[in-house]
Amino acid sequence: MNEQTYILVIDDERGIREGCRRILEAENYSVETAENGKQGLDLIQSKPFDLILVDLMMPVMGGLEMMEKVMTDFPELIMIVITGYATIETAVDAMKHGAYDYIPKPFAPDQLLTVINRGLEKHRLQQQAKQLMEERDRRLLEVANEKSRIHTIVNSMGDAVLVINRDQQLVLWNPAAVKMLNITKKLKPGQDLTQIIFQPDLIQIINKAVDPKAAHYTSISEEIELSKPEAQTLMANVSVVRDENSEMLGVVCILRNITQLKKIDRVKSQFVSMVAHELRAPLSAIENYITTYLTGAAGDDPEFNRNMLERSRKRAHSLLNLVEDLLQISRMESQHVSRKKQLLDVSEIINNTVELLKTQAKDENIGFKIDVPKPCPTIEADRGEMEQLFTNFISNAIKYNVKNGNVSIIFESTENFLIMKISDTGIGISEEDLPHIFDDFFRISREETRYVTGTGLGLSIVKKIVESNLGRINVESELNKGTTFTITFPIKMN
Amino acid sequence: MSKKAKILLVDNDVDIVDLNKAVLENNDYEVVTAFSGSEGLEKIKTEQPDLIVLDLMMEKHDSGFTFAKKLKADPVFKKIPVLMLTSVADVTGFGFSQQKDGYWMKTDNYLKKPVAPDQLLAEINKLLEQANEENE
Repeated sequence: MNEQTYILVIDDERGIREGCRRILEAENYSVETAENGKQGLDLIQSKPFDLILVDLMMPVMGGLEMMEKVMTDFPELIMIVITGYATIETAVDAMKHGAYDYIPKPFAPDQLLTVINRGLEKHRLQQQAKQLMEERDRRLLEVANEKSRIHTIVNSMGDAVLVINRDQQLVLWNPAAVKMLNITKKLKPGQDLTQIIFQPDLIQIINKAVDPKAAHYTSISEEIELSKPEAQTLMANVSVVRDENSEMLGVVCILRNITQLKKIDRVKSQFVSMVAHELRAPLSAIENYITTYLTGAAGDDPEFNRNMLERSRKRAHSLLNLVEDLLQISRMESQHVSRKKQLLDVSEIINNTVELLKTQAKDENIGFKIDVPKPCPTIEADRGEMEQLFTNFISNAIKYNVKNGNVSIIFESTENFLIMKISDTGIGISEEDLPHIFDDFFRISREETRYVTGTGLGLSIVKKIVESNLGRINVESELNKGTTFTITFPIKMN
Repeated sequence: MSKKAKILLVDNDVDIVDLNKAVLENNDYEVVTAFSGSEGLEKIKTEQPDLIVLDLMMEKHDSGFTFAKKLKADPVFKKIPVLMLTSVADVTGFGFSQQKDGYWMKTDNYLKKPVAPDQLLAEINKLLEQANEENE
């Protein structure tokens, strides 16, 4: 042992003290001495010892009295009694006071060393036992920590966790499971699954996974629909746990609430259905026209037959516009639009757009009134998007107008906002239709709109443009009087 | 046939209405038209057609069904045969057929758009003959 061993010798006889010191120091022990119990006790309290040798008969404080005190304060200290009255009684008495062993006076050095070595061995074993106990306690703490860590993770999961043994009893669960499956009973490990969970679909999947006769599953993933307490869709993943002999031990069941995802998915497929319908309608009309033309099924009036081709061309053109609009919407929704925002004077865009669309207004003799201040306050927006925005609004104002009608474009501005009003004197929008005009594919179905072509996406695109450029859009309309769209953008000056 | 059969075309697509009207008139039918379900129901009362050609998706997605349901619930008009045309493709999940959906939605036949003129005429002839036999 490289650690130093400290021994204290307490005896009123100087000869014994020095004799012991000489014998023990020769064995490389560190030795201190004291003349009586009182002195010895002071030394023990001031520094650690591994072993003490105590004489019983001493002045001031005797050995027994001292040992009693030592035993209560230093229970691990090994005490060996030196006594001149080596009788059984004194030995027993000393043992009662906590002595480990005794040695009768007079003693030979070998005797002393044998007793001391035995005492020190006992001390060493005691220390080792103590260390092992501490070690065990620390391990237990680690295990407890690990357990609580796993518990914390499982309990904070948003997905529901259920661990079930092969007898279909509940082993472990988390709060998400209780909430998702609306379990009202207080859960205890060992409860029968069917006593706790009343979702037949889930029970069925678990049964399938644990059925020893069934296929050798590693995991089953299935969607299940819950009706109580509210309709929700869960994705259930049931994994089979096996031991090294591939004996099934139970299952771990993870449930994820995918109700929202399903909802989004439904909206998407509804959109796809609508797109399919919107694409089929003009294609059907075109094919019908051409078949009828080729078979002569509508008779042989050359004027009518020519007209059929003219109208199929028109439908083909609107189909192209529809595809353009769909691509635009898809670009905007995928958010990969490279929007080049810059300071824009929109009055210039308005003038150009009206100039471009004037030919469309000619047949119906529609007039334009543009009242835009000069200089016009600038806004921050993407030029291409603004061009499309005004094209859609102004062409709507022309398309849904009446003969000799008017389109007016008036700009107003407050300190912070540019307010643009685009009004027409057209057919107007009914109160019933008004809330739907920004919906995808919504088109007003009236006698007046029967021959007006359109994709039903124009205003839906416009709304997306306005919102992604931090603007706002408002609409007022009166049936058979006209419609006013008000678009507000924040002013941004250099 | 002594008297021209009267066909009511109900469809919100003006091209389909105009075209089928031309084809049917060219084949000696009398044709009346309606561009929505509600207009169609009005026209049945005023025109009393012998057969109705009905579009499924008009102002609303199920306008055609609503129309057919009302019609078949009417003790007088339920005898009028209905030919339903739809452009809703099977792939969109909205597939309709007489075999599959006839049990809950009683229309007399379904055809998928586009319907070629001779197919339309053949189907109309067949339904009118059936109706005549039942009436005799």
